[in-house]
Amino acid sequence: MEITGFQTTNYEDRVKDSVYKKRLNKVMTEKDAVATFLHDGDSFCIGGFVMWRQAESAMREIARQKKKNLSLIDESGDLEGIDLLVELGILDRIDIAYSITRQVGGISGTPAIERCLKEGVPRPIELGGVLATPEDKVQSDVPPLKIVDWTNFEISLRFIAGAFNVPFMPCRSSIGTDIPKYTKEIKVINDPYENKPLLLVPAYRPDVAFISVHRADRRGNGQIWGFKGTDYWKARAAKHVVLLTEELVPTEKIYENPGLTIIPAYCTDAVVHLPFNCLPTGVYGCYMSDWIGFVANLLQRQTREGALQWVDEWVYGTKDHFEFCDKAGWEKIDRLAKSEHKLNRIPG
Amino acid sequence: MKMGHLYTTREQYTPEQLKEMKGKYSPPELVCCTGSREVEDREVVFVGIGISDLAGAVAKLVHTPNAILVAEAGYVGFPSVSVLISPADNSAGAMAMCHQGLPDMFIDQQSALIDVSYLGFAQMDKFGNVNVTYIVGPQIKMNGSGGGGDIASSAGRVVYTVEFNPRQWVEKVDYMTEAGFFDGSPDTRKKANLVGGGPSAVITNRGVFRFDSETHELYLAEVFPWQDDEDIEEVKKSFPWDLKVAKELKIIEPPTERELWALRLMDPNGQYIIASIMDRPIGKIIMESKFDLEGYDIFLGLMERAAREAVDFVT
Repeated sequence: MEITGFQTTNYEDRVKDSVYKKRLNKVMTEKDAVATFLHDGDSFCIGGFVMWRQAESAMREIARQKKKNLSLIDESGDLEGIDLLVELGILDRIDIAYSITRQVGGISGTPAIERCLKEGVPRPIELGGVLATPEDKVQSDVPPLKIVDWTNFEISLRFIAGAFNVPFMPCRSSIGTDIPKYTKEIKVINDPYENKPLLLVPAYRPDVAFISVHRADRRGNGQIWGFKGTDYWKARAAKHVVLLTEELVPTEKIYENPGLTIIPAYCTDAVVHLPFNCLPTGVYGCYMSDWIGFVANLLQRQTREGALQWVDEWVYGTKDHFEFCDKAGWEKIDRLAKSEHKLNRIPG
Repeated sequence: MKMGHLYTTREQYTPEQLKEMKGKYSPPELVCCTGSREVEDREVVFVGIGISDLAGAVAKLVHTPNAILVAEAGYVGFPSVSVLISPADNSAGAMAMCHQGLPDMFIDQQSALIDVSYLGFAQMDKFGNVNVTYIVGPQIKMNGSGGGGDIASSAGRVVYTVEFNPRQWVEKVDYMTEAGFFDGSPDTRKKANLVGGGPSAVITNRGVFRFDSETHELYLAEVFPWQDDEDIEEVKKSFPWDLKVAKELKIIEPPTERELWALRLMDPNGQYIIASIMDRPIGKIIMESKFDLEGYDIFLGLMERAAREAVDFVT
């Protein structure tokens, strides 16, 4: 059986994909990084976890470049970026554990996905191989957005198996539930040693991982403070790794705390020096999540018209991340940084 | 050290007192404070977000000072500085014992190192099987397991903390996201090769439900002092099956001053005690369209003060 998102990688395959990984200076712009590594039809993931250290600017850049037919894999990820890409019909498939039409205190947290689900706009949703959007709302010429249901640990294990370069990882979650019933790629077997049920999740090797880090040098050694999420594994599973870094530092600075280097240079293809790239999500020790900005956007995105207007204004209307920050207002961004510094700070 | 269970008798109160008490506490206060009594000291506690984080935080501050709280994103052993909106929140990172990764948390859990976990749910059946994925009804709703499916499989025991809602009890869940005791037959979880013990309690503002050790069937085990026979009958009617009630119903002591203090310390702005986002501090800022620096100052100032107060206390 073929696995979506994985094929065993031989050394020769890896070498072919590693031209950028061998560079001594990997610094490039975000625009170039997205254009160079992410192509129509590719799969990708972003680092971080719900509202923290998520590569949101990369999601906006993907939208600006009007990519097509992408697949996204994430645990319980990002709220704004996924919804943005769904609104624009950019995603064909999402493998995820938790993000869908959740309520953020009474209003929809992912209004675009909710519209897909209820109205089939811009696309109907297929969940676990079954059409979830009411049939009368489905236009036959619009391909559905496939959503595949996993648990957080199972998604993590998909990256871990990808990093291990093996087709699957076993685990003991969800045995007997409806998740393996609807997600056909999950297999429940009798393990050959103990002869007891064991759940196998298939590996995933995304084409690109966009990972936000606190510090990186030009060769692509990435250091992270605070929670690590699944970034260690994403960096090893992905074919190409783009680091978006708050600080670009000389390699001497990396030598000071080598234990914090989660992503060594040999994993990395590109380093984008882009302070505040995670906004509206936050970064431990650097800046607080922008809840006001996030909720204000969310209110605007509740209708399709509002959402498209928001995209015109904030995504297409800004040429890069710095224009986005100009528009958001640097005073506010500094205020978010000050707020985080009162609670957590990363050492100089 | 024993669990923090606190029980009382109805006879201790006059009818007037009971009437007054009934209106005194909000549903989230009842759920969080009662839920906090489910932990034993030195246990490792996997907390979720919102109410299921607050229950753990109150436990740590009031009942079980040596409990180790862990959050999904990789934060371990934090003293709880304020209510978590996300498992990756900076306040879980502040003064944590360990910053690790998300799979590390789940590996540790599958390795049977997590004693108890708090979760919420949307639908539950007689044997504690839970749906948080997909609900078919007048409004289609989708959510997804998150870490819940892993927790229900592998945590030592699961304590569900929810506000009581008659619609959440169903004969059969629309989608089984989280394993309870399946069909209730003996050793059903062992046969499925699941590591954890499964659900141990469902804490609501209309009483505490537990699972029969033989039949694994949900029953009403404990009620608040103001819940009379009529109220219990109403609770029973909310279930599509004939809910069993414990022969000797225990009477839960209402939230103590100390528990309520801990709750306010964690959530002074009512982030999670207030149901609608529009009534919360952030909602007010948005209603007044204060998207300028002043709005940020007010909102972040509130969050900072809340965190500082808690940090001052735990240090």
